[in-house]
Amino acid sequence: MKTTAPVAIAFIAGLIMVVSFFFNEETTFVGGLSQELLNWLIIIGGFTLLLGVVSITRVNWAAVTKKKEGWIYKVFTLLSIFVMAIPAVLPNSWSSLFGRDSGSIYDWLFIYLQAPMMATMFATLAFYIASAAYRAFRARTVEATLLLITATFVMLWRVPMGEAFLNLFPGDIPNFLNTYIMNGVNLAVQRGIIIGAALGAASMSLRIILGIERTYMGRG
Amino acid sequence: MEFWKKIEGLDRRWIYLLVGLSVIIPFIIPASFPVSVTPEAQSLYDTIEALPDSSVVMLVFDYYPSTMAETEPMAVAAARHFFSKDCRVITLSNIPLGGPSMAENVTRRIAEEYGKEYGIDYVNLGYKYGYVSVLKGMGQSIEDIFPTDNSGTLLSQLPIMDSVKNYNDVSFIFEVADNATADYWISIVNAGYGVPIGVGMTAVMAPKFYSFLGSKQIVGLLGGMKGAAEYEILIGHEDAAFRGMDVQSLVHLLIIFLVIVGNIGFFASKKHKRRTSV
Repeated sequence: MKTTAPVAIAFIAGLIMVVSFFFNEETTFVGGLSQELLNWLIIIGGFTLLLGVVSITRVNWAAVTKKKEGWIYKVFTLLSIFVMAIPAVLPNSWSSLFGRDSGSIYDWLFIYLQAPMMATMFATLAFYIASAAYRAFRARTVEATLLLITATFVMLWRVPMGEAFLNLFPGDIPNFLNTYIMNGVNLAVQRGIIIGAALGAASMSLRIILGIERTYMGRG
Repeated sequence: MEFWKKIEGLDRRWIYLLVGLSVIIPFIIPASFPVSVTPEAQSLYDTIEALPDSSVVMLVFDYYPSTMAETEPMAVAAARHFFSKDCRVITLSNIPLGGPSMAENVTRRIAEEYGKEYGIDYVNLGYKYGYVSVLKGMGQSIEDIFPTDNSGTLLSQLPIMDSVKNYNDVSFIFEVADNATADYWISIVNAGYGVPIGVGMTAVMAPKFYSFLGSKQIVGLLGGMKGAAEYEILIGHEDAAFRGMDVQSLVHLLIIFLVIVGNIGFFASKKHKRRTSV
């Protein structure tokens, strides 16, 4: 029963969604079931988010009470979660500080703390990329040299100063790069990767629907 | 030889300093090189420009705050273009981490510039878990998936939604993203419901979307801050992305310079090693 029930649910749910995608569902046995399933998925998903909050609270609270190494950071994690979450879920009819509208506590914390912190973390990548490019981007092989030359031209093309430099040479290099590199070689390679990944996803989905793939149940 | 050895072993803090200076200097001394418009951005602009006035459009904020520097100028420029054409704009996000807040802040700010009113000219649907089910579900009924807007107001109380039931009533979708949700807008919404889609992506993700452009599954593409700057030029409102072009230019040139110097050092050391071993 433990195995049969999930496999049966996966089969029925998968079949309904496949039929609803490829056929006019109103004319099939599916009717409005697919929309119902999608609503269920959103509701269940909402509970998984709640489960995430419960889990992160339990793990961090345990570490704080036992004063494990770095417990002070976990205090800040817990504070961050609840200071942002509680005012956001309270109704804004109580106060304009509650809810998620402009001028609320949540909005203020998001605009002036969270967004700049996340942007700062991401911006530091520029420093690491520059350092890594200097140390690791070497023309060791023919393939690496080709990649290096192409990357250099594309990087030049994607910025106004670089494009102005490329335009000093005859032959409309920016147009060549757009037509033959981005819309040529790049397009062909990307399409191959996308089709390969899509075929893989389709076969994996089919295996799950047919009950061949059962690792999602936590067993091999 | 000693020189190249020193260059090869250059302390990374010097590189960080150079990057820092390349970011700061263009703000003090702007160069303002001309920004050329790529066919991908032009095609996106032309498609939106060809929409009948007052069309219902979706502006999707599928990016995290970390990539705001690249993506937000695209969303701002698109909002300006839509409002200038009196389009009715529906915004939503599949990003729980601040997506609805960014949608709220951008559209509210730009709507004020154009004198647009919330609930009549634009609405923020907010976020719902599970983008695949959200995108698929809106094909049947938007109100089923989003019974209320981001503030909790029933959609049935918002005049903008009176004539909008599902994708059949949406003329265009502009997806601004820094992640794989854009793939689903294309494979579910464009393929399944035939709604024209334009995308604005971070520069690192843009190459993938050239294949969708080639197959005409998207009508246009903005790649990174350069793409946003191109769009700002097209709508005649140069803003944050255009100002950022000088910084990006200098940092790109610095990285190219570092790659060249690093390779010269690498080959010089290699040659020296070969000589000394013989």
